[in-house]
Amino acid sequence: MTATVDEMETAAEPTEKTVPSQAEGKKQRRISPLASVQLSVFLMTLMAATILLGAWCPQEAQVGQEKVFEAFDRSTAEFLVRSGITDIFHSPWFLTITALMTVNMVVVSFQRVFPKLKSYNREMPFFGGKEIGKLACNRKLYLRAGSQTAVLGQLTAALTRLGYKVKFSQGQGLKAEFGRLGRLAPTVTHIGLLSLLTGVTITSWTGFNGFRPVLLEESLNFDDAKHAGLWIGKMPAWTVKVVSTRRENYPTGEAKQWFSVLSVVDKDGKVLKTQEISVNNPLSYEGVDIYQSSWGLDQLVVSFNGQKRKLGLNSMGQKYAAFLPLDTDTVLIMSLSSEGKELRVFAKRKEWEAPKLLGVVPLSRTLKLGGVDMVFEKVLPVTGLQYKCDPGLPVTYGAFLIIMVGVLLASIPHRHLWCAIESEGESQALFIGGTSRKAKVGFERSLDKLIEDLGPFKEELK
Amino acid sequence: MTDLQMTLTNTAGVSSVMSLWVFIVSNFTGSKSRLKERSIKLGNWVMLIGFLCLSAAIITRGIEAERFPLSNLYESLLWFAWATMGGFIYVSRAYGIYQLGWLASLTAIIFFFYGNCLPQSQHDIMPLVPALVSYWRWIHVPPLIVSYAMFFLAGLSGLLNLYQSGRKVTLGIMILTIAMASTAIGLGTFSDKVEVYILQLMFVGSSLVGTVLGFLSLKKVDAAKSADTEAVKRAAMYDDVGYRCVAVGFPLLTFGIITGGLWANHAWGSYWSWDPKESMALVTWLSYAAYIHLRIQRELSAEKLSVVAVLGLLLTLLTYLGFNSLGFGGLHSYGKIK
Ligand code: HEM
Repeated sequence: MTATVDEMETAAEPTEKTVPSQAEGKKQRRISPLASVQLSVFLMTLMAATILLGAWCPQEAQVGQEKVFEAFDRSTAEFLVRSGITDIFHSPWFLTITALMTVNMVVVSFQRVFPKLKSYNREMPFFGGKEIGKLACNRKLYLRAGSQTAVLGQLTAALTRLGYKVKFSQGQGLKAEFGRLGRLAPTVTHIGLLSLLTGVTITSWTGFNGFRPVLLEESLNFDDAKHAGLWIGKMPAWTVKVVSTRRENYPTGEAKQWFSVLSVVDKDGKVLKTQEISVNNPLSYEGVDIYQSSWGLDQLVVSFNGQKRKLGLNSMGQKYAAFLPLDTDTVLIMSLSSEGKELRVFAKRKEWEAPKLLGVVPLSRTLKLGGVDMVFEKVLPVTGLQYKCDPGLPVTYGAFLIIMVGVLLASIPHRHLWCAIESEGESQALFIGGTSRKAKVGFERSLDKLIEDLGPFKEELK
Repeated sequence: MTDLQMTLTNTAGVSSVMSLWVFIVSNFTGSKSRLKERSIKLGNWVMLIGFLCLSAAIITRGIEAERFPLSNLYESLLWFAWATMGGFIYVSRAYGIYQLGWLASLTAIIFFFYGNCLPQSQHDIMPLVPALVSYWRWIHVPPLIVSYAMFFLAGLSGLLNLYQSGRKVTLGIMILTIAMASTAIGLGTFSDKVEVYILQLMFVGSSLVGTVLGFLSLKKVDAAKSADTEAVKRAAMYDDVGYRCVAVGFPLLTFGIITGGLWANHAWGSYWSWDPKESMALVTWLSYAAYIHLRIQRELSAEKLSVVAVLGLLLTLLTYLGFNSLGFGGLHSYGKIK
């Protein structure tokens, strides 16, 4: 029976350690130590611990080194920076674990996971009472004479209802299988994981990304884009001009959405494409995506008796404000809401408790301040643009899909069930048993239920 | 919050408290008595009523807010309680288990209570910040919350497996660990007095020490329990139940992480940015991948897997609540209340 036993190893997922000792020994010799699942669990643990550390410690790549020094005292921060913990996802340590995990996964996939697919279409043989008796989960009962056909009929109906595919043998027996698709799970998942690695590698070799705040009517170029050290991609020759940009508010004044109209402009100034973007709705051109990622009012232009002044705006909660010192004791404060339609002008002197409102002036109107004519000329918004080029994306997305399918398949418990009716002297013995690696007790329960329903055909032995 | 919504939520809270008591009482009735059977049935029914009320409460909240009702910590806690109850109802139908019932009610109650103690601003329906205005929100978040709840149930089954297999010492250690970790989260959410580093240490330290001690103490077996064949059977069943929960939770977590990536890519142009919460979800994912491989390939014993499942529960707790309440930063700060 070695062939059957070997097949059980691959197809039926044995629960007994007793079954394939010899076959297993033979297999293990062919498999490299890099393919050990112990190693993968060890690597997964190391990886998890590393990521945990990276999640705990502010990362330079995301928030900048200053944050690290803000969060810890000086010596701790210096230690964290020196040891690479503040940039752990680019550290040699992390890259080494990733590389080892990749090698482990590739070797395992090819040596242990994919080969199992060969047995996917192989049919399991029918088992007699003796073999069924060896299965991890098996039962035996005696039947009333002449009830075999009815019993098999009832079992078939019940198993079919449970979703099993049932086949009969020439003699008195059947075999049934549930969730064969579930056996594809490891293969599919691991193909997905390998594709993910491929996609990520393509991106890191050819992609780039970056962020830049751009003022209204100015342009975004890609001079300060970031990309990996090992890089064979190329940067676009075109730039992106901010034609207009605005913010939409909730009635309460909080931001609801930011919009920017962008034009793609080539070297000669020709407009190639124009589109309005908003958060969650980017512009795409030649594989580069440009995202709305933040928004603000940046500069205020006013004129005093015809003389223009540009003032930087600070964000103060829901308002923006500019400060213009007039002399050592007096400051002119100008404040705007995010719509930028009206400028409120205040004066503040040292001895005053609160600023005094001098007046409110709509856009392009004049406010008389004593002998000075102040005009609210314009306000310049700034739009935060995030861009990226990710050539590996289709592969990565494909991988996501495959992984999803794989893990879904993995939740299907694969079950095999055999049944044989044999004469034992005067009586008819029914052997029923099977294997289910994933949900043993659930399987046993369903088996017991099947047997319970056979009650009317049962014969109690004297 | 309307009265209807409040009433429904409170009914759900009260019925989880009631089902807890019914389940507890059922433990003190004779092991095969009719009373026991009835009280378990009753417990299940009360739980089901709570589950339905909570479903209705969440729906009414959504209607009132005119958006998908999952945008702050309070709402996500309601979802978590909902998924814990639903998850229990799902596994109890398949296995006819009741011990898990009182643990599941207890978990739901703790989460209701936690939600109730949050400041009023969390209960109020607030407008969303631009980053959250997207249909992706309801594709991405619910699977995650439900997966967290399933992992909780898996961890609780792990505890029951330890109990039934006579690993009393390990059980004690694991319960203590969970209690320490929860205390850290409670303090982190509601108190300003304790330094975050102490809380972080309290959570991570106790989890590490607890897990290691848990493994080491597995050798201490209660002889009476391991001789009791009924108990051995029940232990195997809880092992099975734990696996079923992971088998549901893992695809959901995978789906949640991947859709999070798709959303991030859609909104910010990068599907992965090593944001702390995102990284933490990956840690949890890896730990359950390890659980699955240990189970399928190494055929690890049920007790060891139970300890792994409890470790998974702790990681889930850290991912779900710990990162915000223990002062880790990041984009996903809608869970922050301070
Ligand atoms: C370090 C790398 C890894 C190695 C060496 C490895 C190895 C294996 C092996 C040997 C199997 C069993 C195949 C079988 O019994 O037919 C397996 C199954 C599986 N692996 Fe991995 N694995 C790795 C990483 C991962 C990761 C990161 C995931 C995350 C999703 C994963 C998901 C799965 C799934 C879902 C199964 C199927 C389990 C089932 O049948 O229920 N693997 N893996």
